[in-house]
Amino acid sequence: MRYLFTALISLCVSFVQASVITDAEAPDFSLVDSFGKTVSLSDFSGSTVVLEWTNHDCPFVAKHYKTGNMQSTQEYAKEGGAIWLTIISSAPGTQGYVLPDTANELTTSRNALPQHVLFDPEGDVGLMYGAKTTPHMYVIDASGILRYQGAIDDAGGRGFNFKNLLEADNYVKNALKEIQSNQVVTTKVSKPYGCSVKYKVTGSRMKRDTINSAAVVATITAEDIQRSPALTTADALRL
Amino acid sequence: MKKLYTNRSYLRVSLFLLFFSLLSNSITAESFFDAGESSLSLIAESDEISTGETILVGLKFELNPGWHTYWENPGDAGAGASVVWELPPGFKASEILWPGPTKIPVEPLMTYGYEDEALLLTKITSPRTISYPVNIGAKVSWFTCKDVCLPQEGEVSIKLYQGLKSENQSTSLLREMERTVPTDLSSPHRVSILDNKIFLQFEREEAQQISSAYFFPAEYGFISYVANQKLERNDRSFSLELTPAEVQVKTLNLKGVLKLNSDGDSEYYNLDLPLGDKADQSPLGLNLITALLFAFLGGLILNAMPCVFPILSIKILGFIEQSQGSREKMMQHGFVFSAGVLTTFLIVAGLLLFLRSTGDSIGWGYQMQSPLIISLLIYLFVAVGIVFMGNLVLGGQLAKFGVLAQGQRDLAGSFLTGALAVVVASPCTAPFMGPALGMAFLQPGLGSLFIFLALGIGFSLPYLTLSIFPQLLSKLPKPGEWMETLKQIMAFPMWGSALWLTWVLSSQVELQSVFAVLIGALLVAAGLWLLEKTQNSQGLSRSFALFISVILLAFSLWLIPTSYKASPAEIEGNEYAFSAERLENLRLNQRAVFLNFTADWCITCKVNEAIALNRESVKKILADKNIVYLKADWTRKDPEIALMLARYGRTGVPLYLLFPSQGEPIILPELLTEDMLVGFITEIN
Repeated sequence: MRYLFTALISLCVSFVQASVITDAEAPDFSLVDSFGKTVSLSDFSGSTVVLEWTNHDCPFVAKHYKTGNMQSTQEYAKEGGAIWLTIISSAPGTQGYVLPDTANELTTSRNALPQHVLFDPEGDVGLMYGAKTTPHMYVIDASGILRYQGAIDDAGGRGFNFKNLLEADNYVKNALKEIQSNQVVTTKVSKPYGCSVKYKVTGSRMKRDTINSAAVVATITAEDIQRSPALTTADALRL
Repeated sequence: MKKLYTNRSYLRVSLFLLFFSLLSNSITAESFFDAGESSLSLIAESDEISTGETILVGLKFELNPGWHTYWENPGDAGAGASVVWELPPGFKASEILWPGPTKIPVEPLMTYGYEDEALLLTKITSPRTISYPVNIGAKVSWFTCKDVCLPQEGEVSIKLYQGLKSENQSTSLLREMERTVPTDLSSPHRVSILDNKIFLQFEREEAQQISSAYFFPAEYGFISYVANQKLERNDRSFSLELTPAEVQVKTLNLKGVLKLNSDGDSEYYNLDLPLGDKADQSPLGLNLITALLFAFLGGLILNAMPCVFPILSIKILGFIEQSQGSREKMMQHGFVFSAGVLTTFLIVAGLLLFLRSTGDSIGWGYQMQSPLIISLLIYLFVAVGIVFMGNLVLGGQLAKFGVLAQGQRDLAGSFLTGALAVVVASPCTAPFMGPALGMAFLQPGLGSLFIFLALGIGFSLPYLTLSIFPQLLSKLPKPGEWMETLKQIMAFPMWGSALWLTWVLSSQVELQSVFAVLIGALLVAAGLWLLEKTQNSQGLSRSFALFISVILLAFSLWLIPTSYKASPAEIEGNEYAFSAERLENLRLNQRAVFLNFTADWCITCKVNEAIALNRESVKKILADKNIVYLKADWTRKDPEIALMLARYGRTGVPLYLLFPSQGEPIILPELLTEDMLVGFITEIN
């Protein structure tokens, strides 16, 4: 029965520690795009979808666009019929937050090829997906199953500045290729790298974090109860 | 800074050589590089170097206030510095020796790095032949971050001259920093994965002196960066409880740096622990879809449980009566019932959380641990059975509980029936809820919420289905005499549940207290009988009956025990509860004894029990060697146990003593392993 209890706690924690599981259904969301249109993930069921978390002023993102690596990945996706959704979770007043016009300007000036640039200023979708960095990439197949999450390529980590991105192993392209040919995606998860997503900092989120720490303590106690020989009732319940 | 000028003057002197340098296309830089929000300098422990020697150099980052740079593993975002050394032929540079990092939370993420200042050390080894002066150059790329990140790049270099190593302005700083570079931990330590938690445990003298501890994972995808790490300090050991990462990557070794703080000092240790066969099974087991399915099925099966089925059946009987009514109204009832179910699940959730926060040690099922609650449930089941069996029509207040009055047609009644179904279900939900909800805890994101809802939906589905597709009702038996029969039959599972609860109670309280509750149940039955007998009467006799019933009920409540019985003396087989007298007698009889000091709240104890003490091989050898296993339960601090602990210089658990049949006991380490334990036991006479 402690499971239920822990489930309840995780319910409270989930807002902080959100993430999605590879090879499980990608949660649906609706956001407004740079043309003021509301776009949902479910609008694209039947197509492969790539999610790209971005912040144009983040040096990691900047390098991917400057070198054309991001655009080449977008082009690859487009050629394969995939939908590309660029998501900005920067809160107003933080780095990467842009108004619709600027977003469209950035798309044009950088020759980017997203179907939609979506705004997530509250950070809800970012937190739901557990987006941690810009860039942070997700590939969802035509049946809505998440097939890849993580970095765009293996150029992350130390020495990123020195690396030639066009020579890197592009995980997103790999995943798209494998999905297209009905193969199992080889690299399903990688460590995302980049700048932290500039989420809205709210008091309530802080509070949830405190719950989180309490929850860690709580879980132990609940488990101890279960193990305790004095509480044979808990065992009896399982009979 | 003085050193800096010295180096600058060296460079000024060598400015003349600049042209040559440019001609030979070699890199020339100063020892200091200003990058705006941060600056970088290259320092060495000596200005001289001999052949075949190793010299400590450092890349020193000075950051503007509020800015930070990253550790080797930056945590959730960022990247550590990287360096390309420009060295004369034959010279070799080691990997960066990263000093212990600090936590830099960037809500809601966690990063690891250095604030204000960072000194990354490298050891440079010279070859057998050197042409002086030696130019040590470094091309460095790093990130300087606050709320935003700046990629920075710079080149620094210094010259080293011929001579014996001698101290300079940087020597002490570099050597001091070298001491903060994590070293390998020589004392025993281990990692265990139990119940989807990861426990790092360490043996350490005076572990109580540790004020705080933190494990910095070196790799992504096993340990959550952002989750709190819970420290437990024992006398000779401590443990850290870690949370699995939200996204799991197959991991063979747990690597990282342990930071210990005590008395204002920090110590750093490298850890590299094989995860063994655990590596294949990620701590996050089932995927969301499977878990949702489990939860849904669990909820569905709940309907068939003896303590739920009668109520749902009766509710469905109410349906049949209502089937004359409009379909719309029935659907309404169906949805409201489901809402009642889900709301109650969530209310119980909130209640649990609240109780938990007040410090009670509870879990779901906590209600089963209290004799008070169990006794009340016994009364409730006895009473419901009697109502089913008899003809008592409970009106007034009780009618709003919906279950007892079959004919309620208002939405509030449906809602309350849903709510009541959950309450009544709680004693028999565990076996079905367990696995799915275990998964629920591990489901990150909204997954756990979905699982919870799936459970409730499964629970309310039969009812909902009937309300949406009333045509299915035609498949149900026609109303009639059988309904009364069925209702009466339903009394038996109710009483069965009461019996089972009595058995549960008997493991918690003394026999006479169980007996008291049985008498209480009898009084409840008598009260209900009286109510039924007089339900058609008016006036004084009815009032008198009500009065007597209330007294009977009050008396039955008074009979409920509130205290637990003492722990049973005999635990199992060769296991006994510890008492000083028992130990003394065993010693007098020259019996070998294994004495386990444990407590329910002691993580180390529980891990030891799971991975060593409770293993078959250990049980077998204890039995084979006829060693008595004594368990001293320190959960409720017992003075007799405290005295025994104090005799061995301990203030708390765990403590493991192995008494040979004669002579002094062996004090075992605080971190037990199966092999070690078997080894110790084999060796004693």
